[in-house]
Amino acid sequence: MAPAPPLPTMRHSSAFLNPSSPAPPDDACATLALVVLNQRLPRFAPLLWSRAAVRVCADGGANRVFDGMPELLPGQDPGEVRARYKPDVIKGDMDSIRPEVKEYYSNLGTKIVDESHDQDTTDLHKCVAFITQNPPVPDKSNQLCILVLGALGGRFDHEMGNINVLHLFPNIKIVLLSDDCLIFLLPRTHRHEIHIERSIEGPHCGLIPIGTPSTSTTTTGLRWNLYNASMSYGGLISTSNVLEEDKVTVTSDSDLIWTASLRD
Amino acid sequence: MPASAMPLPTMTHSSAFLLPASSSSAPRADDAAASTTYALVVLNQRLPRFAPLLWAQARLRLCADGGANRVFDGMPELLPAEDPDEVRARYKPDVIKGDMDSIRPEVKEYYSNLGANIVDESHDQDTTDLHKCISYITRNLPGTENSNLCILVVGALGGRFDHEMGNINVLYRFSNIRIVLLSDDCSIILLPKTHTHEIHIERSVEGPHCGLIPIGAPSTSTTTTGLRWNLANTSMSYGGLVSTSNIVEEDIVTVTSDSDLIWTISLRH
Repeated sequence: MAPAPPLPTMRHSSAFLNPSSPAPPDDACATLALVVLNQRLPRFAPLLWSRAAVRVCADGGANRVFDGMPELLPGQDPGEVRARYKPDVIKGDMDSIRPEVKEYYSNLGTKIVDESHDQDTTDLHKCVAFITQNPPVPDKSNQLCILVLGALGGRFDHEMGNINVLHLFPNIKIVLLSDDCLIFLLPRTHRHEIHIERSIEGPHCGLIPIGTPSTSTTTTGLRWNLYNASMSYGGLISTSNVLEEDKVTVTSDSDLIWTASLRD
Repeated sequence: MPASAMPLPTMTHSSAFLLPASSSSAPRADDAAASTTYALVVLNQRLPRFAPLLWAQARLRLCADGGANRVFDGMPELLPAEDPDEVRARYKPDVIKGDMDSIRPEVKEYYSNLGANIVDESHDQDTTDLHKCISYITRNLPGTENSNLCILVVGALGGRFDHEMGNINVLYRFSNIRIVLLSDDCSIILLPKTHTHEIHIERSVEGPHCGLIPIGAPSTSTTTTGLRWNLANTSMSYGGLVSTSNIVEEDIVTVTSDSDLIWTISLRH
């Protein structure tokens, strides 16, 4: 029996989180887009904002930017911070954004896109669709990486719906970030090389077979590597694993969610 | 033509434990709740606002490692009108279990002196803290059959994503035990495919938002009643439809599925 052709390799890097990395940090993520959902901003929000080519707030995410950026930059004048951290687009059904926040950004030129008619897709789905239809740097759209704040924690159905967006757009690099961790999809169509920023991420990590069991997953670079291991809910899932090397590789017969903790 | 399948047995679910305690000692109208034995597990995250209410109803209270810090710090904060030392002495865990790398030494000593059972599990790296606590409860609450036992867990959601997913996996691994994961924002339970489910909604404390999540495997056919967007032999999967931001419309929601599902409902503030 002829061996299957090797899977193409997909490279991942969180260099965008490393303040010491030059911008743009990495070829694989040459263009960053930032989406802000309706939860408290993580501490690195200003860093990612400054590196993004486009910034989109989903509805109440605009409140979080309005309130949260001055809090994260307490040494600066709040009025100046607000004007500087102006979203390019605010999208969603507008039932969470405060009227004065909407007016403030509208007056500054932010594009307000009311989607209250569309109840079938989540706010994150709408924002990802918008960004892919309006790529910030059209000739580099294959190096686009969408960073999302506020997708984890809070209401569990929201969190699970946000993770489904990763599965619905498997060809787009989307990273969900919180103060505690980051997550992204490892599609089964590829062999994955995950480059670890040791100063920023770890030591904890995990591989989660969300949505479908995996019959065979193999890894390198972890303390407890997998060798053609099965993973499933009800059985083994890899949590509280530990990063051992600067590069982690993952090959699986199933889509997996990769997660790494972020250092304080 | 094949004979129709035997109907699945029905499993009922109630969140009566979230209702404020009545000032009188009159028995609850909900008989199911009256015969339920509750245990409480506290994991290492900020206590939700209703932690004292759950504590009062539990026959057994366990802290997993750093969860003891959360009780020590958090209970006086949640009961600001009372003397902190009295609160701490009153809200004493029965058991503190785990590898003891998060609990503060003074917290461990305080509860140890008050008689809490400290069970060091640092040798066992194969199971999560929650898994260890569930195992302990099943072995140490004699006289309760699994059908009467309900384990309430706070601190299992949010924070590190791998922890959260590992905690949800504990629901799958102990699928014959009622376990409820609770946060300030929501609650979640497993609906095993072996049963048809009747979820009794306490409208004063939960809803309106809810969801059904096929987190472990796709569902070819799920049917519901009582929701704004009911499913009718509907497929659900990651990469396809997942029922989120649904709305509870009636006091009883029913769910039947060919796959284990996670049910989640928002909690009112």
